[in-house]
Amino acid sequence: MAFGSSKSRVIVPIVEMTPMIDIIFLLIIFFMVAAQFAQQARVDLNLPLENGEQDESLQDSSFIINILDNGKIIIDSTEGEISLVVLENRIREEVVQGNLTWDNILIRADENGTAGTMNKVFHLLNKYNFSAAKIATESN
Amino acid sequence: MRFARSNRRGINRAALSLSSMIDVTFLLLIYFIITTVLSKPEDQLNPALLVDQGSVVDESLMDPQIIYVQTVNLQPVYKLGSQQFTDRFKLAEVLQVLPKEPGIIIKADDSVTVGFAVAAIQESRDAGFTKVTYVPASN
Repeated sequence: MAFGSSKSRVIVPIVEMTPMIDIIFLLIIFFMVAAQFAQQARVDLNLPLENGEQDESLQDSSFIINILDNGKIIIDSTEGEISLVVLENRIREEVVQGNLTWDNILIRADENGTAGTMNKVFHLLNKYNFSAAKIATESN
Repeated sequence: MRFARSNRRGINRAALSLSSMIDVTFLLLIYFIITTVLSKPEDQLNPALLVDQGSVVDESLMDPQIIYVQTVNLQPVYKLGSQQFTDRFKLAEVLQVLPKEPGIIIKADDSVTVGFAVAAIQESRDAGFTKVTYVPASN
């Protein structure tokens, strides 16, 4: 039996578009979902309208403390409001694990709220020897 | 039976469907445009932190230039030495002429708004102070 004829055939691969589109859509969905998760740490607030430090060297913050205008504290929008005691426990856990430095922590406080809660959070940070803080502003 | 083999032997050219590619590209473009518009640009102010704990804090640190952010007669004010301002721009004018080397301390009461307290930090930075220290009101 001779099957010789097929060996001589030149096969040029055809680029299949369907799986490529599937993958691209999967990637889009992944990034959209990931972006949603990233947004959960940032609650919609009226941040103080200030120019800020304009310092590009500051690293991104991994621990974001949102303070609403009514003084409520949120660190993850899916969890909802947390008390100062819970916040302190979280900070302690992160400190023990060695994950926190001062520039990892970002305070996002609503400009219309009183400074009382923000001051309490600063007292808490000072208790754990953080020598500085980052306060989020909304750039003009 | 013989089938014409010429087609099989011919080189198959890859058929790239551009329309699907353009669809995907536009979808990506729209997605990024929407997300860019929705996220407001944020910046940061990073003052040093100091907690006033009576005798624990070195008084010499508290001596120099202190802006007290307080509520007086139900109105938020900035107090600097004997002067009192309700307007951040007047505070900015005074800060411009102060010596920058000793730094400045901002001591904010719980009663003032966050916006009012943060404005004092921003004005201090804009005036050229590199050492800006925020002192939260005592618990």
